Amino acid sequence: MNFDLSEEQQMLQDSVARFVQDNYELDKRTELVASKQGFSDDNWKTIAELGWLGMPFSEADGGFGGNQVDTMVMMEQMGKGLVCEPFFASIVLGGGALKRAANAEQKAALLPGVIDGSRQLALAYAELQARFDLHDVTTTARAEGDGYVLNGHKSMVLNAATATEIVVSARTSGGQIDESGISLFIVDPKADGVKLENFPTVDGLRASEISFDNVALTANSLLGELDGGFAVLNATANDGILALAAEAVGALEVLYKDTVAYTQEREQFDHPLSDFQVLQHRMVEMFMEYEQCKSLLYRATLESVQGDDATAQRNVHALKHLIGKAGIFIGENAVQLHGGMGMTEELRVGHYFKRLLVIDSQFGNADFHLQKFAA
Amino acid sequence: MDIELSNEDLEFRNEVRAFFEENAYKNGEDFNKWRMDWFAKAREKGGWDVPKWPKEFGGPGWTPTQHYIWEQETATANLPWDLPFGLGMLAPVLMAHGSKEQQDRFLPDIRDRKVNWCQGYSEPGAGSDLAGLKTKAELSADGTHYVVNGTKIWTTMAHIADWIFCLTRTDDSGIKQQGITFLLFPMKQEGIEVKPIITLGGSHSVNTVFLTDVKVPVENRIGEEGQGWTYAKGLLQHERTGLAGISRSLVALEKLKEQAASVPRGNATLMDDPAFRGKIAELEVDLWATEYTELRSLASAAAGAAPGPESSILKLKGTEIQQRIQKLTVEAGGIYSASWGAKPAGPAFAKNGMGGYMSSRAYTIYGGASEVQKDVIAKNVLQIKRSSK
Repeated sequence: MNFDLSEEQQMLQDSVARFVQDNYELDKRTELVASKQGFSDDNWKTIAELGWLGMPFSEADGGFGGNQVDTMVMMEQMGKGLVCEPFFASIVLGGGALKRAANAEQKAALLPGVIDGSRQLALAYAELQARFDLHDVTTTARAEGDGYVLNGHKSMVLNAATATEIVVSARTSGGQIDESGISLFIVDPKADGVKLENFPTVDGLRASEISFDNVALTANSLLGELDGGFAVLNATANDGILALAAEAVGALEVLYKDTVAYTQEREQFDHPLSDFQVLQHRMVEMFMEYEQCKSLLYRATLESVQGDDATAQRNVHALKHLIGKAGIFIGENAVQLHGGMGMTEELRVGHYFKRLLVIDSQFGNADFHLQKFAA
Repeated sequence: MDIELSNEDLEFRNEVRAFFEENAYKNGEDFNKWRMDWFAKAREKGGWDVPKWPKEFGGPGWTPTQHYIWEQETATANLPWDLPFGLGMLAPVLMAHGSKEQQDRFLPDIRDRKVNWCQGYSEPGAGSDLAGLKTKAELSADGTHYVVNGTKIWTTMAHIADWIFCLTRTDDSGIKQQGITFLLFPMKQEGIEVKPIITLGGSHSVNTVFLTDVKVPVENRIGEEGQGWTYAKGLLQHERTGLAGISRSLVALEKLKEQAASVPRGNATLMDDPAFRGKIAELEVDLWATEYTELRSLASAAAGAAPGPESSILKLKGTEIQQRIQKLTVEAGGIYSASWGAKPAGPAFAKNGMGGYMSSRAYTIYGGASEVQKDVIAKNVLQIKRSSK
């Protein structure tokens, strides 16, 4: 047993950490968030040149053959700076669906561009009535001629505004909440009948509501097996949860450490705040929760790489629950211990807290996953 | 023990309800005119425009039970907006410590909602430790005015305020609670700069106020020089009891239940989700207890007794409950709570959920951070003595 990073992973970690240090001072991030696109093309180019976009793809697909541990290493570092470039949406989500289900022709057409950064992907899975259930799908794809006709609406699609292709889950058979009968399609966001409404999210990223009105799809738009899309979607979502949890762990580290530093600088009642035992204990609790999150992140990530599917799934539920719960505990207390300053946009803590809140709302919140874990 | 409202109280409640109904805002009405008319009519009712003012200053002279009924009814009625600073915070200080001239000069404009006030208390270096404030007020050689220099922070509505009541330091030779002087001065004058602070909810209500050589005539000083802390302390107590917001939380909780019942969850709604339902129930239990804590506090006040130990926990419990309601609203909104600005889909209440929740994090910071409140309770209520070892 060993929890050490390999030499390559160590280098990857250092490289992402350096990128974050160089490009993600709060002021610079605030500027990016305020820009129209919400992230930097230059940063995206840098990320592509550093090879990170190819990390989770197999060598046969033109990538570096990394697994969830490598993604964890990168996402944890990105979480320390709350990186805005769409690594998560394009590579972990969109790319995750493609690498699992795409046929040779689709891979050849798309993956080189995804890996060199000239293409970006998005994954459209959420629907209004579904809350957090991936299998609750009312968007339909009806077979017509050689292809399909897509109708319906998807919510909160990350990075759709800049995506060149969107992977969409749609019902091709079965009832609204059946796991079978869901298929995935590769959709051009510029196609006739696709309408995007773009907006910023609380954490400064970008998302869209997308409606599909009789969108004509070719036969080769189908990604993976007809009616068999749920397994791919679920596996991709699990990878998404691992990646979000890793990002959260990076953000949590910043939150508890910033709080420890601030309370030692800030003086009230002729003492640094850190002299007060009640605050010391609170910070110890924040630290404890952070370490527990990190442990469960390692556990769930390693079980996903090495364990059987059922065990991995249960670990993912446990992880998303704890990250949601601890994220809010640490976030709320980081703000509280920073006092009024924690309530402003001028310090990092509020921004990190917002990101953790959004992470809790994605792919099922703490309650949702606790119930799945207990079931 | 008896919790029934008397016939007089029931009659009063009907009267309040009828008044709110008769004077409710009607669509299309000029908003400002309605607001000013509302206060004028409330005044004719016998001081209903200033419910908390004592009778000798034109207030209604209600019993605590009547105040409680008023609070309950206002939580659901749509009252015209009002700022608490002049009416609820400065006015009691003026009444207790201001001169007759000062009362005559300032109270009528406060009552008529003609002058907006802001509160110049906190400073960058003096938050929880308010008595550590450093904004300096120096008396001029001829003794006619003070010259004020310093920085105030978290000043709510300073950007629209006409006047400020401000704690300043006139003496730093003794312990820090001494040498604080309570001054009033206009905001629109040379030497005052207001800089907005944008908070996590994305809104602008608090500011930093820079004071550079601001001249304040001595007649704008409340009470004695150096006694400002004594006056301000009473004011903070006022502020804190007002922050519990129990009636508003009772209404907000019912709204939250309705909202959750509109969110689909499988074949049922979020209100049928055992985890969410459990959290709502836990919140409701706490709220029921807190409601009675407030009633016990009111009852002892009605009997003319000093506030009992139970009243000290109201701000702590009340603000925590408000935060939990906001948090559950965010949870109820699910993925849609993450959107910011344009909201093309999802339940309407999710639109402001996250902003409301982020703003609510300040409730346990302002008016005395919860940790400091607990210190005060340990010392004053539990009377725990610190050993000097």
